[in-house]
Amino acid sequence: MDSTQKISHLALDIGGTLIKLVYFSANGDYSEESRNGCSVVHGKLCFAKFETRKIDDCLEFIRFNILHHSGVQHPNGAAHDKLYVKATGGGAFKFADLFKEKLGILFDKEDEMHSLVGGVNFLLKTVPREAFTYLDGQKEFVEIDHNDLYPYLLVNIGSGVSMIKVDGDGKYERISGTSLGGGTFLGLGKLLTKCKSFDELLELSHHGNNRVIDMLVGDIYGGTDYSKIGLSSTAIASSFGKAISDGKELEDYQPEDVARSLLRMISNNIGQIAYLNALRFGLKRIFFGGFFIRGLEYTMDTISVAVHFW
Amino acid sequence: MAGQEDEHDPILDDKKEAEAKSEVSVGGGERDMAPSTSGTSIHRSGSRPQLDLSKAEIQGNLEERDPTILLPNQSDDISHLALDIGGSLIKLLYFSRHEDYSNDGDKRKRTIKERLGITNGNLRSYPVLGGRLHFVKFETHKINECLDFIHSKQLHRRDPYPWSSKTLPLGTGVIKVTGGGAYKFADLFKERLGVSIEKEDEMHCLVSGANFLLKAIRHEAFTHMEGEKEFVQIDPNDLYPYLLVNVGSGVSIIKVDGEGKFERVSGTNVGGGTYWGLGRLLTKCKSFDELLELSQKGDNSAIDMLVGDIYGGMDYSKIGLSASTIASSFGKAISENKELDDYRPEDISLSLLRMISYNIGQISYLNALRFGLKRIFFGGFFIRGHAYTMDTISFAVHFWSKGEMQAMFLRHEGFLGALGAFMSYEKHGLDDLMSHQLVERFPMGAPYTGGNIHGPPLGDLNEKISWMEKFVRRGTEITAPVPMTPSKTTGLGGFEVPSSRGSALRSDASALNVGVLHFVPTLEVFPLLADPKTYEPNTIDLSDQGEREYWLKVLSEHLPDLVDTAVASEGGTEDAKRRGDAFARAFSAHLARLMEEPAAYGKLGLANLLELREECLREFQFVDAYRSIKQRENEASLAVLPDLLEELDSMSEEARLLTLIEGVLAANIFDWGSRACVDLYHKGTIIEIYRMSRNKMQRPWRVDDFDAFKERMLGSGGKQPHRHKRALLFVDNSGADVILGMLPLAREFLRRGTEVVLVANSLPALNDVTAMELPDIVAGAAKHCDILRRAAEMGGLLVDAMVNPGDGSKKDSTSAPLMVVENGCGSPCIDLRQVSSELAAAAKDADLVVLEGMGRALHTNFNAQFKCEALKLAMVKNQRLAEKLIKGNIYDCVCRYEPPSL
Repeated sequence: MDSTQKISHLALDIGGTLIKLVYFSANGDYSEESRNGCSVVHGKLCFAKFETRKIDDCLEFIRFNILHHSGVQHPNGAAHDKLYVKATGGGAFKFADLFKEKLGILFDKEDEMHSLVGGVNFLLKTVPREAFTYLDGQKEFVEIDHNDLYPYLLVNIGSGVSMIKVDGDGKYERISGTSLGGGTFLGLGKLLTKCKSFDELLELSHHGNNRVIDMLVGDIYGGTDYSKIGLSSTAIASSFGKAISDGKELEDYQPEDVARSLLRMISNNIGQIAYLNALRFGLKRIFFGGFFIRGLEYTMDTISVAVHFW
Repeated sequence: MAGQEDEHDPILDDKKEAEAKSEVSVGGGERDMAPSTSGTSIHRSGSRPQLDLSKAEIQGNLEERDPTILLPNQSDDISHLALDIGGSLIKLLYFSRHEDYSNDGDKRKRTIKERLGITNGNLRSYPVLGGRLHFVKFETHKINECLDFIHSKQLHRRDPYPWSSKTLPLGTGVIKVTGGGAYKFADLFKERLGVSIEKEDEMHCLVSGANFLLKAIRHEAFTHMEGEKEFVQIDPNDLYPYLLVNVGSGVSIIKVDGEGKFERVSGTNVGGGTYWGLGRLLTKCKSFDELLELSQKGDNSAIDMLVGDIYGGMDYSKIGLSASTIASSFGKAISENKELDDYRPEDISLSLLRMISYNIGQISYLNALRFGLKRIFFGGFFIRGHAYTMDTISFAVHFWSKGEMQAMFLRHEGFLGALGAFMSYEKHGLDDLMSHQLVERFPMGAPYTGGNIHGPPLGDLNEKISWMEKFVRRGTEITAPVPMTPSKTTGLGGFEVPSSRGSALRSDASALNVGVLHFVPTLEVFPLLADPKTYEPNTIDLSDQGEREYWLKVLSEHLPDLVDTAVASEGGTEDAKRRGDAFARAFSAHLARLMEEPAAYGKLGLANLLELREECLREFQFVDAYRSIKQRENEASLAVLPDLLEELDSMSEEARLLTLIEGVLAANIFDWGSRACVDLYHKGTIIEIYRMSRNKMQRPWRVDDFDAFKERMLGSGGKQPHRHKRALLFVDNSGADVILGMLPLAREFLRRGTEVVLVANSLPALNDVTAMELPDIVAGAAKHCDILRRAAEMGGLLVDAMVNPGDGSKKDSTSAPLMVVENGCGSPCIDLRQVSSELAAAAKDADLVVLEGMGRALHTNFNAQFKCEALKLAMVKNQRLAEKLIKGNIYDCVCRYEPPSL
């Protein structure tokens, strides 16, 4: 990163698993006067991520980039007062002391949900082709009519999952959620596969086959579809259900297959609960976000399949 | 009847010494006054109305050689068999017929039927077939045990049509089977048993099983919150639609709209298979139960990321989450540098269990919401009566619905599929079964008590007793007759200190027992109940822990005396001793089980508890433990009756009425169910005790409506009241109670032209008089009294009694008949939702109900409301009950008169 860039507006989201960092970096040092006299700064919004358990890396990154000097002084404060940085997520509470001690910055704690909804509303309204659908490996961008955005369901998949019904700017309500989220994927995944990181686990899942461990409808009904109730023979009847009877130990399964089953279990479940909640409130659109999605094709596909199925 | 009480005796304390030696010993004791009750090998079964059937059985054998009459060891006449073969368990259901054999040989019954206009005693007039439904479980990997069981009971060789008892030739039978194993084991069944399997659709079976249970069994459903089960009564007419969630390997969510009308609306692949599959990979547990057991000792906060972990211990109250809410299941495992081996398997199991249970609860809730359904029933092997699973699912439903919805569970949960398969027989005969025709019993002897079977099937009583003895020797091993009995209770010697119901819920303890369902088509709802829907027979709520523990202790303490009496009643033979021993062990095991899990046998009332004891006695073939005592006291009382009647006749009408009521209350002191009263028997002759007791009857009584009753009977201000048309007198104990108390009262009604129906037990319970004994007693009384004789003749009671037949000819047009009907039960209490058809018929013209004694007027029916006038008379022979019910003391009296409630 070019250290001559003028950095400003650092904001942090410290979650249970990841720390997300957003900062604005002005292009060069010119600013242009707009017609109405306001100063418009050209630049880019930069994004960075750290694992929460490696919070020291994050602190180091901020120090190195002198991001912490970009905080704003408290409106009423003197020049040498502490700097404030916008922070959200549970870690804004948990790590407040650490940031104060290490970097000398104070958190201006923003409500997590509020920040999230604000962010999504901003993106959906300002960034063209922000939203896309993902089914059978095909990404398709969707143009959202800004005037027909609300209400929608926002599913934020972090360590856990929050489902938020958004009715307008600043108008939202957490209506549901589930504890089976990204943390479950990584947590169970680590215990089952000895993977060290989220990315590694995701990578593994690409190469797996969930049929090895999952009990499919076909396994129960002898290969025929149980079409009477609308289930195909490849539908998963019971995640990890085959592990019951195989007489195999954990070591006998490929970590890839385990990761795949896990991913499908959690993605399916999130998709289903999101669908049921959307149905409940008559919402047509569901936006999924959060680090668990992270642009990962298979995850998105599974969630989409689940929503589509249900 | 009464409860037991060993407090001091205020009436007779001073006479204790003087009377100690003059025992009640009138009549020599050994003369068999009622030959009809002396059958020995008849009452193998013990379903409610079957005692008097046995007489017909004997007569039939001797006189008519009726080929359909069953021999004792043929009493299991099986006609139906259905199976649900799952991956881990086989559930077997079979139906054994116990027909209401023609009772016309019983002359009392025949006369009663004519008199009450019961035109057709034929069983065909009932839509439901009399018999029993048995529930049995086997482990699937021990399928040979199941096949042996079927073979030894010849279950496979019965015609599938219930009214045909013919045996099928080998190789032609067909059994209905559901579950995944139906195909897998078809060849094995053909080979071993020569029967073909007809596969039934699983979901269809599940739904029809659930429909049947929810409609036919009164308190089948229960809620489960924080370890407490509460039984829910569901109106069969307001059952649909409901959501049925079956948690097997996966989860099916089914919306049920009616009989055969259902749709699988949703489901989830995160189910029992996920729990067991992941659990096995993570913990190395060898069995599902082991994994569940582990979860009891777990702490999920070691692995789950809680809201508090993210927000540094403070609640994120803004969105309604508490710090202990799980934010991310297994979320902690990501941020700590721990390996799988660093986590306790207990914690892993609990985290898994909570993750899956909450998820199922949530998805079920969302689906119920979607279809606007009020009720969600959960079943399937994942639930399996496991308290913590039920709690977490209930919590999730409660949490997400903000208390608007309740998760419910079914007592016969594991048998839904098998029941459905059973119902899939074209003519299973249970279509129109109503809950009042169904009685659930918990026999101890079958190794499959609770549904689980271990070891070979038991053929007869002797094997059952041997098995009970083995149970004792081997204590806690799997052969325990109550399979869920945990290691702490041996099932012996009454009670240990009540185990505290702390936070640790044991899986084995919370699984509920499954009894044998008796279908008794002749049972009816008592027509005079003001509102059968809201009627609750039990006065004392045994779901209150204090009450429950008190009464369980009372029964436990009374047990040794009861065993002595029972053994003595059969001459104290070695056989009787052996059976007495087995009975004591069995009943102790029942009590221990109830102490540990009060909901084990379903909704528990004192009436059920007392009936359980009687049924347990019958199970070990103690037909009538108090028989000789009853005979002795009847004779003693009959001997002094003429004097009493003479005394009464010398009184004015008003004085007589008071003396009669005093007499009923006083005579109610003769009660072998009451410890306090048993002591009295050694202190004086019956008439002495009776008179002394009556003299102590100082009004006002603790509950005293006598004046209102007197006004109703005698009128006031010169106004002549209309006489009662028919009075139903529910009698209590034998001896003085019925002869010196109730018969004189009956005589008073008869004298006024009111028809009297004496209502007595169908089967013996303690020293309660039975309907079969009453005709002889009445005949004895009639020898000395014209009023009783005329009335008894008119009521057909003297035809087969030992009186001079010449006297029966003169008829008086103004006199009213005295009749006897059986009440349909064999318990010291009475549940008026289930009474005999002859009592129901007799109630038709009745305008007065008199309930006498603690069992029928206090323990049950104290608060019952009737469409007609009611008089409830009892002496309270239990200090605790006296305090609780009438804020009084032991020996206080209740005379409650209530006008019709409408």
